[in-house]
Amino acid sequence: MANNRKDSITFNFDVSAYRLLGRELITDRITALFELVKNAYDANAENVSVEFQNINPLSTDSKIIIKDDGIGMQFSDIKNKWMVIGTSSKRRERLSPPPHRRKVSGKKGVGRFAVDKLGEKLILKTKKKEDKQLLCLETDWSHYSGLENSQFKLNFEDEKPFFTDVENSYWYEDSLKNNQGTILEISLVSEIWTKDDINRAYKELSKLVSPNTDIKKTYPFNITIKAPYEGFENKIVKTQLIDFATEKIQLSYNIDKETQEILQYNKIEKYLSIKNVPKRPCGLLKLNIYYFNEEDKARYRKHFGTTLDGIKIYRDGIITTPFAEYVSDRNKKKDILGIDKRRWSGFFDRLSNRDLLGYVEITDENNPNIIESTNRQGFVDNEAWGELHSFVIEQISQLEQYLSNLKKTQRKATKSNLGGTNKDLKELKKDIALIKKDASPVVKEKLKNIEANLGKIQGSVNKSIKEYAKLEKETKQKENLFFSLVSLQTYAAMFSHMTKHTIGHILTSAEYFNNNYPNPKLENRFIKISKNIYNEMLKLRKGVDFMLKYAKSDTEFEEINLKDLVTNLFNDIYYDRFLKENINTEIAINEELILNYNRKSIEDIFDNLISNSIKALKGIDNKHIKCSSITTKNDLTILFSDNGIGIKEEDRFRIFDIFFTKTSEDGGAGMGLYMVKTRVEAMQGNIEVVENEFKPNGATLKITLPFKK
Amino acid sequence: MTVTFVIIDDNEEIREHALLFTLEDKYQNIIFFSNPSEGLQYIKGNLDINLIVLLDIEFSDNDKKNGHILLEEIYNASALIPVILWSGINETKEEFSDFINNQAFGFLSKTSTIKESMVIIDKAYNHLKNSLDNTIEDWIISNETDKEKPIYLTADGETYSLNDILKEIRLQTPIGKEFSSKLNALTIDLLLRKKENL
Repeated sequence: MANNRKDSITFNFDVSAYRLLGRELITDRITALFELVKNAYDANAENVSVEFQNINPLSTDSKIIIKDDGIGMQFSDIKNKWMVIGTSSKRRERLSPPPHRRKVSGKKGVGRFAVDKLGEKLILKTKKKEDKQLLCLETDWSHYSGLENSQFKLNFEDEKPFFTDVENSYWYEDSLKNNQGTILEISLVSEIWTKDDINRAYKELSKLVSPNTDIKKTYPFNITIKAPYEGFENKIVKTQLIDFATEKIQLSYNIDKETQEILQYNKIEKYLSIKNVPKRPCGLLKLNIYYFNEEDKARYRKHFGTTLDGIKIYRDGIITTPFAEYVSDRNKKKDILGIDKRRWSGFFDRLSNRDLLGYVEITDENNPNIIESTNRQGFVDNEAWGELHSFVIEQISQLEQYLSNLKKTQRKATKSNLGGTNKDLKELKKDIALIKKDASPVVKEKLKNIEANLGKIQGSVNKSIKEYAKLEKETKQKENLFFSLVSLQTYAAMFSHMTKHTIGHILTSAEYFNNNYPNPKLENRFIKISKNIYNEMLKLRKGVDFMLKYAKSDTEFEEINLKDLVTNLFNDIYYDRFLKENINTEIAINEELILNYNRKSIEDIFDNLISNSIKALKGIDNKHIKCSSITTKNDLTILFSDNGIGIKEEDRFRIFDIFFTKTSEDGGAGMGLYMVKTRVEAMQGNIEVVENEFKPNGATLKITLPFKK
Repeated sequence: MTVTFVIIDDNEEIREHALLFTLEDKYQNIIFFSNPSEGLQYIKGNLDINLIVLLDIEFSDNDKKNGHILLEEIYNASALIPVILWSGINETKEEFSDFINNQAFGFLSKTSTIKESMVIIDKAYNHLKNSLDNTIEDWIISNETDKEKPIYLTADGETYSLNDILKEIRLQTPIGKEFSSKLNALTIDLLLRKKENL
C-alpha cells in the first residue's frame, strides 16, 4: 500500500477486533452519529454541528461533516489514543479536562469506529488551542474492508497482510489562531439520507442530554443539524421539554441522610405524596416521570411530531447506551425497564411506555453497580439493577393508583354535572312558562317552539343520565370480573407451580413403591415415602381449599362481632399452633363492635395476618401477638402487632405487593399481605405499616375501616 | 466406578425424594445440600472423586446464588463434572443457554418419573465412566504396579506418576489439561502412522 505522501502511521488492531467493535456493536447509522456527537461532548465541546451535504441523491460530493469546538487532539493523541482500539483514555479519567469537568460518557473506546457506518472515507482535522496548524488524518475504510474480505479467502498458511499494515496518511494545514476543535469529514457516504432520516437523527440526538440535568447552565452543549431540507437548514437540536404533561413527578434523594424519595399514594386523602426511605441497594437516584392523558398526548404529538417513548436512564446527564440504540420499528423497541411486560398491562389503568416520558438520573458515584452490558442491549443483571428496575415499577404503580382514583372522582363529577343540567333545564322551562303568560301572540308562538326544543333536550339529558348510570354499573361489573380474573390468574400461576412440584413428588414416590415393594431392607424408606405422600396430599388439599375461597368470596353479608371472630381464631383455630410455637396472644377489642360484612373476607384478613406473624416470630424468644382496636366517630382502627423480625424501613411500602416475600423459606409466597390489602380495600379501608408497638423489634400493621355514613 | 451424587435444592423436602432413594439404592453415595453455598464448597473440595450434580435452578429470593450462577461456578471449578438441572419450572430458552454456555449435562423436570430421570442420570454415569480420568483409574485398579511409575516429564523437570496425573486431571490443573490434550494428539499421531491398533 505505497503512498506518495511523506509520513504515515498505522492502526494498531486486527481484523476481528475491527469487525467486533466497529461494525457489530454499532449496528445503525443513527446510533453511529449519536456516538460521534457523544465524543464531542466528552471533549468539552459547547457547539457541535452535524452537516449533511448532497446526501440525496448520493454522489462523489456527498459528505457528512461533524464539527465541534472541543479541546481537539495533538499528534500524540492521534497516535496513542485515536488510532489504538480499546484503550480508552476516558476509562481512566472519568472527568473531562477543566473547566468543564464533564462526566465522560464513552468508556469503551468504540465511538470513533462508528464512522465507517456513515461513509467509507474519513478526513479528520483537529487542533488544540495552543497549536498553530490543523492536524489532518485520512482514513479510507474501504481499504480495511477490502483487506478483511481477502483475508477470509486466504488459506491459514498463506501469508496475509495485517490490518495494522494499512497506512493512513496525515498532514498539516494552516488555520486561524486561537480556535480549537475537531472536524470529521465523512465522504463516500454509504446511504441516502432522506428528510425522514434527518428527522429521526434529530429526534434521537434530542435525547442525548437529559432535560433535567444542570449541564446546560454552566457549560452548554448545543447540537445543530444542517441538511438541505426545509426546516433543517440550520436547526438547533432541543431536548423535548415536557410542558404538556398531565402529571409531573420529581423524586430526588438526600445524600447526607442517605435517604431516597419514593412516591406514595394516600388512599384516604387521595393524593400522591413523597416519602423518604433508606437508600436501596441500587443507590440513590433521581426520577422524573411525566404522565400524559390522551388529550395531552395528542398535543405533545402535534408539537414534536413524535410519540412518547417511555422511561430512559441517564448517567451523569447523558443517556445510557441501551437507550441510545436506535430502533426504527417502535413495536420492536426493547422494554428495558419491563414496564409493558407487567402482567395485565393495559387493563386497570395500567400505564405503558406510550403514556409516559421519564428520566432516571443515575451517577457514577451513587450507582456504581448499574453497569451497561457490553453488547449495548441492556444492563448487567445484578442486585443493583434488579432493585433499580423494581424501584421504577413501584413508582409507576403508585402513580397508576392515583390516576385510577382520579378517574373515579371525575366520573362522579360528570354524573353530578348531568344531574345539574337537568335541574337547570327544569328552571329554564319554569321561567319560560312565566314569560309566556304575559307575552304577545307572536312571542308566545316562538316560546312554544323553544319549549318544545327544551323538552327534547331534557329528554336526551334524561336519557344520558340513564345511559350513564347503566354504563357505570356495567363498568363496575366488568371491573369486578377483571379483578377476580386477575386474582385467579395470579393464583393459578402459583397453584400450578405448587401442584407441579407436589404431583411430581407423589408420582415418584408411588413409582418407588411400585418398583421396590415389598423389600424388608427398604422398610424404613417405605415409611418415609408414605409419610411424604400424605404430606404432599395435604398440601394439595390446602391449595384447593384456597382456590375455593376465591370461588365463593364476597357474596353474603352478615353481622359480625369482631371480638368474637378474632377470639375464635386466636383461642380455637390457632390454639395448637400458638401452643407449639410458644406464642403469647393478647386481644384488646371493644366487645360491642359489630361489622356488617362478609365473614369469609374478614376471617381471611386475620388469618393471613396471623400466619404472617407466626413466620416473622420464628427464632424469636418470648413471642407476642397483639390485636387491638380503636373506634372513633368516623372509623375503626385495628392494630395488629408482633415482636418478630420486623419490616425493614426500605420494604415498608412494598410488603403488600403481590409476590413480595421475605419469608419464602417458611412457605411465604407473597400472597398473604397482598390478599389482606385487597380485602381491606374492598371494604374501602386502608392498611399501612406503622411504628412497632413492641420494642425493640417487631411490626405493627394498622387497618383503618371507615364507617358507612 | 464409584460415584457420589451431589444434590443441591433449597427445598428440604427433596431430601426424601424417591428419586434420591433410588439413586442411593443403586449408587450408594448421595449427599444433599439445601444451602447452595455449602453444596458448592463441597464440590470444590472434592474434585478428586467422581461427582454427578443434580441442581435446582429456582432458589428462593433469599439465596443470592441461583442455579444459573451456581452452574457457572461449578463449571469454572471443573468442566468434567456432569451437572443435571433439576427444576420445577418449564424448560425455556434460559435453560438452553445454560446447556450451551455452561455445559449443563441435561435437564430434568420435577415432574419426571424415576424411569425418565434415570435415563439421563445413567447417561451421565456412563459419560463419567468413559472419561479419560476414569480410564486411567481403571488401569490403575487392574495394574496396581503401574501406579507409581513415573510416566510424564514436564519442561521444568517435574516427573508425574500415573496416579499423580489422575489427580491433576481431576483437579483440572494446567498440567492435567496439558497432559489430556497431548495424549489425544499422541493417539491421533499413532493411529495415522499405523503404529498402533486400537
